[in-house]
Amino acid sequence: MKRLLLVLALVLLLAVPASAGEGIPGDGDGDGVLAAGEYTSAALAYLDAAYMGGTGDLDRDEIRDAAWVYARWDGRPREIVDSSGQTVTLYRPLRRVVTFSGESLETLRSLGFDMEKIVAVDKYSHEKSTFFPECRDKANVGSIWSPDMEKVVSVRPDAVFLYATISTAACDDIQKRLEASSPGIRIFRFDCFKPATYETEIRTIASIVDETERGEEFASFYASTMDRIRDGTAGIPDDEKTRVYFEYWFDYTTVAATAGYNEKTELAGGRNPFAIGTAEYPVVDPEAIIVADPEVVVKLAGQGLAAGGYAGHDPEALDAIRSSLVERPGWTRISAVKDDRVHVIHSDILGGAQHFIGTAYLAKWFYPDRFADLDPHAVHQRYLTGFQGIDFDLASEGTFVYP
Amino acid sequence: MIGLPENRLLCLLLLALLIPAVVCGAPVTRTLSTAEPGAGEVITVSLSIDGIDLGGVVETLPAGYAFAGTDHPADRVAVREQSIGFAVMNETRITYQIQAPASGSGDITGVWENFLGEADGEVAASHVAVDGIETEPESRGEKPPAQEAASPFAVLAAVAALLIAGRGGRQ
Repeated sequence: MKRLLLVLALVLLLAVPASAGEGIPGDGDGDGVLAAGEYTSAALAYLDAAYMGGTGDLDRDEIRDAAWVYARWDGRPREIVDSSGQTVTLYRPLRRVVTFSGESLETLRSLGFDMEKIVAVDKYSHEKSTFFPECRDKANVGSIWSPDMEKVVSVRPDAVFLYATISTAACDDIQKRLEASSPGIRIFRFDCFKPATYETEIRTIASIVDETERGEEFASFYASTMDRIRDGTAGIPDDEKTRVYFEYWFDYTTVAATAGYNEKTELAGGRNPFAIGTAEYPVVDPEAIIVADPEVVVKLAGQGLAAGGYAGHDPEALDAIRSSLVERPGWTRISAVKDDRVHVIHSDILGGAQHFIGTAYLAKWFYPDRFADLDPHAVHQRYLTGFQGIDFDLASEGTFVYP
Repeated sequence: MIGLPENRLLCLLLLALLIPAVVCGAPVTRTLSTAEPGAGEVITVSLSIDGIDLGGVVETLPAGYAFAGTDHPADRVAVREQSIGFAVMNETRITYQIQAPASGSGDITGVWENFLGEADGEVAASHVAVDGIETEPESRGEKPPAQEAASPFAVLAAVAALLIAGRGGRQ
């Protein structure tokens, strides 16, 4: 029992975040504003303590943070409203970040955030060594459903990123536990995979990490693709929209109105005959698919149907998935099969922060004439090279769509 | 095997490549109005600063030399014994004066920090000697921890010295 108490005490001690505490470092009068005089006094006190034999309580990180707040934030705290609606006040820039969401992690990298400042990541990002090679050696904090809280506090984060609108109970619980054990910690809630909110989230996260210029560049890049898709499908009457059967990883499992994949299908101008119903991923009667006679069939590959993605260049595997679809009993009667419009897409480019790439492929498949000038492959490569900053050549690496 | 003239050429090439890189890369350099003042003479020290928006410079004077004033705003200067600290806010030049003792020699040393750029280093030492006469160095005690790390310049100087020594040995 004593040993357990000791361990708990140690964890609580470790739980104090690296940059904990309310208030801007150097704000002598505590009025919440770092004035010029306060900053220079703090700078001199630091120099005196560090080099001149004096005593002072600001360390190097603190004076650097004070300089940052003075120069970049006009000496004032920065208030952020995240996607859960909570207001988070920052008194200093982030130095030690934990992400429980691969989408937030990816967005931070798009924004040019110093990845050295990411001190721990979720287990799924940790496993994606091809896409997140720099995270291979970072601490693994598990998943939102099974978080390793001791690991989180042991890396002394000053900020933790969680989801905003999915798995809210699990994320709320993590937030509550962290705020109880680490009073100075900042919890940010973002989704980073929803077309309706991603552009705003890019700008908000850019503001958190002081990369507003880069944020504008990335948000514009993202919006240019999404706007092109929205404009290209605007005004198509519902009864003229392309009928699409979207099949999830599992056979005869489709997506209903509440599923994110359905949102992307509809954004690309698709009409899902199975959108009705309360289940997110309903199982459909095979005969009903034939009756619905989809003009396009899209099959999802990914975690539940492992093939392709960033992990491997394997067009044959996606070809095999496609072949198994068209060879299903009765499918020769389906328009999509007759017209050779059966496609396989990997969730890496449709389910997360890269959904704009996958949605561009969907739009092109649904309306080849309307989107003749849209080049999802080029968008994808520019994203990887220009924003993700990874050395990944789509011509020879990974497989994301077929054909 | 490379002959002696080639070795010498290699050393010169290495020095030519490395030294300008270090000198050009130093954000703070120091110049003196004179390195051989007369007794009690006031020396003007100019610090040239490049690329430090918010940061600091701490100069340490040899024993006997006294800080005598600066053009830097008073609220951005701190003096403690032989050390003078300057808070840097976008300045490209800071000038200060020191008064030489009746006799004595030593090095003015310095360190700089770029708070926004998250970098730090040493300002190359400048030697001063009253009337050019060298005296026994006085211990100034241990350096503060932040000054203990060898500067790139010092490392380079050591490499250059080794190269030159090696050349001399072969000759």
